[in-house]
Amino acid sequence: MKMMPFRLMIRLLALALLLVALPGRAAPSPQEILVASDAVRNPDFPFGLTNTLVEYRQGRQTESSTLAIYSKADPAGGQFRSLVRYTAPARDANKLILFNGKDLWFYDPSSKASIRLSPQQRLLGQASNGDVVTVNFARDYQAVTAVEEDTQDGDRQTRRCHRLSLSAANPDATYHRIDMWVDVGNARPVKARFYSESGKLLKTAYYRRYQPIFGVQRPTEMVIIDGLESDWVTVMRYSDWTRREVPEAWLQRDYLPRFKPE
Amino acid sequence: MSRAGARPGVLAAALLALLPAGPAGAGEAADADAAALSLADLQSDEVAQASDWRSFVEAGAGASVRRGDGAMQGSRRLSVDIRYEHSLAPGARVFLADRLDLGQPAPGVGEHAVNTLKEAYLSWQLAADAMLDLGRINVRNGVAAGYNPTDYFREGAVRAPISINPASLRENRQGSVMLRAQRLWDGGSLTALYSPALVRESNPEGLALDVGATNARHRGLLALSQRVGGLTPQWLVFHEEARSTRFGFNLTGLLNDATVAYLEWSGGRSATQLAEALHALTPACECSAWHNRIAGGLTYTTPDKLSLTAELHHNGAGLESAAWNALRQGPPALYGQYRSALRSSQEMPTRRALFLQAQWQDALLPRLDLGLMHNLDLVDRSRRVWAEARYHVDRVEYAFQWVLHGGEAGSVYGAVPEARGWQLLARYYF
Repeated sequence: MKMMPFRLMIRLLALALLLVALPGRAAPSPQEILVASDAVRNPDFPFGLTNTLVEYRQGRQTESSTLAIYSKADPAGGQFRSLVRYTAPARDANKLILFNGKDLWFYDPSSKASIRLSPQQRLLGQASNGDVVTVNFARDYQAVTAVEEDTQDGDRQTRRCHRLSLSAANPDATYHRIDMWVDVGNARPVKARFYSESGKLLKTAYYRRYQPIFGVQRPTEMVIIDGLESDWVTVMRYSDWTRREVPEAWLQRDYLPRFKPE
Repeated sequence: MSRAGARPGVLAAALLALLPAGPAGAGEAADADAAALSLADLQSDEVAQASDWRSFVEAGAGASVRRGDGAMQGSRRLSVDIRYEHSLAPGARVFLADRLDLGQPAPGVGEHAVNTLKEAYLSWQLAADAMLDLGRINVRNGVAAGYNPTDYFREGAVRAPISINPASLRENRQGSVMLRAQRLWDGGSLTALYSPALVRESNPEGLALDVGATNARHRGLLALSQRVGGLTPQWLVFHEEARSTRFGFNLTGLLNDATVAYLEWSGGRSATQLAEALHALTPACECSAWHNRIAGGLTYTTPDKLSLTAELHHNGAGLESAAWNALRQGPPALYGQYRSALRSSQEMPTRRALFLQAQWQDALLPRLDLGLMHNLDLVDRSRRVWAEARYHVDRVEYAFQWVLHGGEAGSVYGAVPEARGWQLLARYYF
């Protein structure tokens, strides 16, 4: 058998090394996966929607609220600001909330009182304020690692996901740590587990009922399961999505009494 | 209550009944997740629609123990409260809020039926950042919970005081007829309003519009807000016919994720509160001086929805200990006139007070809210304690309220005829 010329062997070896060193496409970083997942959940323009929250304890419905929400991203930080008006229940109808980072205001049209809230003041049962309104996780959290694994999604199907480990990256972050599963194929968020600073599981959330919204398949339901009392469940459904102009001047306490979604 | 989804029924209850209620291992957690998702599968797609109306009827019955002889007196009340908000055209809205109180003993001055037209006004949004309102409007400024020095439009506004709860006093009062304009910009706003003198005397007749109660003098207000860092301070300038201009300031800030701090201040030149209250009975005094009124406090919220508030009140025009004791021991007519005038203006009789409040949402069991308030007058050491348990289910709320007034005779709370009392309330939203 004729031996391969030495110079040709050297060239093939160099080519092989080059192919290994220069892959055709760099794998996305954990933070890029998180950004892509945010883009699936949230439109990149101001919008309005209706959020229907139903809370269950031990299989029985205990609370129900319907909120009309306008959201707009902060051009500076990228995080969403939201104006919220209660549609139901009747005793809360027309009450209003402004979410602007940690600037939270509650307005009751009956007493005409604008009350500053602390982030710890939860307004809607088990759901945190950050659950109720639109949140860009990539703005408040740093995705540290991404591990590929199979997991059960909200439809009890096995799905190949990146398991992202998120750490709070700024003081506006609601949770200390989050594990988030994001579909490998399309960056759809599948589920997330939220932890306290002590490592205690606070809640699990499933993102499901994907529907075409503004040309993208987006989750229209979030099922939240309490970390301590697993029979405490909150279901949030999003409907009536509309593209809305939200002037910057509206995103302040003094406009809150006048906010009425159309 | 408007139901967004149907009750999940027996199947869901059975699914959840299989769940462990405590902290779960990996397998149990998976089971819990599966059961919760099955529960969500059963929820209907119904979405509650917004309504122009928000109304309720409330019935109450109670009893109180009279100070001195300990005689028991019963009470009963029926109230109808409506709010209506309707868009007439793009940018034009009409607001209406009215309340009728029927009671025994009389909720008003000798009137068993008292109607309070709280608001009736038209609102135009001239542009995204410019608004104009005209009509009877309930304007309320101030960030404190128990005492609001910058709430300049509260004087004479409460026609039927059905509760001593500050939130109730703010809610169940009539507005003032005014023209109000507001301009907004990114992070700030300017509001200007003019409220004219329309009728010089109040009309206590139960069904009267009582324009004179809140429009007896020409008044004007400028309010400027501007976000500065994480704070949104508000500056106010208020002028009232025949009185010196008053200035106000409101500020709130976060100390941490669980604590809100706030400060409310109003200052201006005026006669002493005593001289103003007794001007009809005593010679005019040359006692005008700068007086400050301040309320400042903290609200801390625990993770399980218990909010604790501590607030200090200072009324620079109120009476110090010596003057307050002298008035209490002096002619009853002067004392009575002073207390009557302050009831109308909702001002503090003395110089300093402490206000403590606890509100616990979903306390002990879901849908049960508990409230506790403690007013302590720091000049005469009299006190009031008020407690409430409120439970709501669907469109109905049930409440039990209890109150105690303690202190020496003639003190701020010791002079209240009712030493202690309670009432049961039932409210139905429709």
